[in-house]
Amino acid sequence: MLLRKAPIRRRLMTIILVTCGAVSLLTCLSFFAYEFFTFRQSTIASLSTLGSVLASNSTAALTFANSEDAAEVLSALRAEPHIEAASLYDENGKLFAQYPANLPKDAFPAAPERDGYNFSTEYFTSFQPVVLGPKRVGTLYLKSNLDQMYDRLRLYGAIVAVVMAASFALTYALSRILQGQISQPILALTKTARAVADRGDYSVRAPKIGEAEFAVLTEAFNQMLTRIHDGDSALRESQESLWCLNAELEQRVEERTRKLKEANKELEAFSYSVSHDLRAPLRAIDGFSRILLEEYREKFDEDGKRVLDVIRSNTQNMGRLIDDLLAFSRLSRKQIDASPVDMQGLASDVFQQLQTGFADQNIQFNLSPLPPTEGDPALIRQVFVNLLSNAAKYSRPRIQSVIDVSGHCENGDCVYYVKDNGVGFDMAYAKKLFGVFQRLHSVEEFEGTGVGLAIVQRIIHRHGGRVWAEGKVDEGATFFFSLPKENKQNGSFATAQ
Amino acid sequence: MEFPKALAHCLGSRRVRTLTAICSAVVASCVLIASVGAAPANEYQVKAAFLFNFAKFVEWPANAFSDTTTPFVIGVLGHDPFGPYLDDIVRGERINNRSLTVQRYRHAGEIKQCQVLFISRSESDHIDQIISSLKYRKILVVTDADGGNGGVIIRFVNEGNRIRFKIDVEAAKAANLVISSKLLRLG
Repeated sequence: MLLRKAPIRRRLMTIILVTCGAVSLLTCLSFFAYEFFTFRQSTIASLSTLGSVLASNSTAALTFANSEDAAEVLSALRAEPHIEAASLYDENGKLFAQYPANLPKDAFPAAPERDGYNFSTEYFTSFQPVVLGPKRVGTLYLKSNLDQMYDRLRLYGAIVAVVMAASFALTYALSRILQGQISQPILALTKTARAVADRGDYSVRAPKIGEAEFAVLTEAFNQMLTRIHDGDSALRESQESLWCLNAELEQRVEERTRKLKEANKELEAFSYSVSHDLRAPLRAIDGFSRILLEEYREKFDEDGKRVLDVIRSNTQNMGRLIDDLLAFSRLSRKQIDASPVDMQGLASDVFQQLQTGFADQNIQFNLSPLPPTEGDPALIRQVFVNLLSNAAKYSRPRIQSVIDVSGHCENGDCVYYVKDNGVGFDMAYAKKLFGVFQRLHSVEEFEGTGVGLAIVQRIIHRHGGRVWAEGKVDEGATFFFSLPKENKQNGSFATAQ
Repeated sequence: MEFPKALAHCLGSRRVRTLTAICSAVVASCVLIASVGAAPANEYQVKAAFLFNFAKFVEWPANAFSDTTTPFVIGVLGHDPFGPYLDDIVRGERINNRSLTVQRYRHAGEIKQCQVLFISRSESDHIDQIISSLKYRKILVVTDADGGNGGVIIRFVNEGNRIRFKIDVEAAKAANLVISSKLLRLG
């Protein structure tokens, strides 16, 4: 509806005008209709009376076939200008007398019709019996124009128009004054609400106009504004304090991070220097024990030679340990050079190299197609070296070692796994597997330093990925690692550095 | 109708049958026109009707009748010029709930109870005598003869080929009769 978009003033006025207009129109139309039917009834009544008088007066004329007298009787109708024509018919239905006399014969019905009344748009006609005693001696025909009725209706129409116009004007004037009672408080509220919405100014208040609902509404609105204002300032305050707290916290975090970084750096430098410095005495022990074995061989008995061998193998073992530790600590300092990595080629290449070390072992290597990813190729290579050598090592007790390598990408993450049918592990220790120097088996059982998986974990973490393992005692183990692709990686590298 | 039908049948021709049908129709309509035209030709047929109709526009005092069942009497004095017409008109009719009878008198002495009396032209010689003998009797005296002024209440007059009448209001008053104004307008 068009009105829906109009401002409330206009809507109110339109509603009042339409309602009043409809009511007064209906009232006028009812009066109009009532007048129309009343006039019809009174026309019938007066014409019927007139007809009865004429009929009664013309009985003798009809009885004695005196049409001149009948015409004279009818000529009395001159006093009724709305009667345009009248005629008398004898008992045989023949035209007997007519009024006015100068009207041509064909202006009258040739024969009387059934007794009664008939209204057309312009004329009212009637046929009435002329009765003498018990006998019908003829028929009277009257034709009256409806000028009188139309005149009356015209007058009524004019009155209706004037009344409608006057009431419309009055309604307009009154509604213009009275609509303020409703529209003003609403407009005031609207103005206040707009001030609040546009400027965010919760301190404005709507003016209180009148009593009853609008006053309640305005009061409720103002109360709401007060509450919002209070809430808003409280919120602002708490926001401010929160902001201060946040800034303080951030500052503190920054400080801690800086301290932590320093400590970390110190620790790394320390572990590096320790590992590095440990090599010098170790090299001395190794060198001198070799000299002892080579130069003074004959001076030692068998027992002495065996002890010397033990010393040598242990120093070599310790050298490896230090190498691994150095490699591990270097990892945290090493820059990661991300580039596309052909995982398939890498895994296959690593296995080829390792195979020579496990020549006496029967290994079935199943390599499923691996999706390529991005990362530091040298480091990823190290991951495969460690995982594949572990798989071969721990499946050595099996007559037929089986190593499965597979992987797939999903939602931007690529997950790869290396699965063996080796001795497996208890899931209770799954978390411990990746710790430095954490071993589930003795060196006698399976050689190793306990750094390999820690290195794998560090490499994968530095790439922003995850490492986890699944396994069961005597039923093999599976090592999973995921590598995020592309941008995520770079982001992770940045933070890792 | 039997004859042309039979003739048509004898001739057996369709055209002849049509022709005879037209002929018979023409003959029938001629007969019809003749009978309609003949109706107003008789002066006394009209007068008989008038005589009966006068009774409807005139009021007789209650003592003009011996009781409520006494018939309304239309009398004809002298030679009856109406033939069967008067009897035909009156037959089966009633006036003021009284039956009607027609009585014929040879002389005034025979008149007993009578409401409307038509004096024939045959009595024009001694009409004054008759009038005086009927004085103060509540009788509507009608005649188409001359004379009898002051006693004759309604007198038929021929105007061209139309029959009119004159009413003597004084005579009516003298006879104690009330004549309707509607009738008076015609007289």
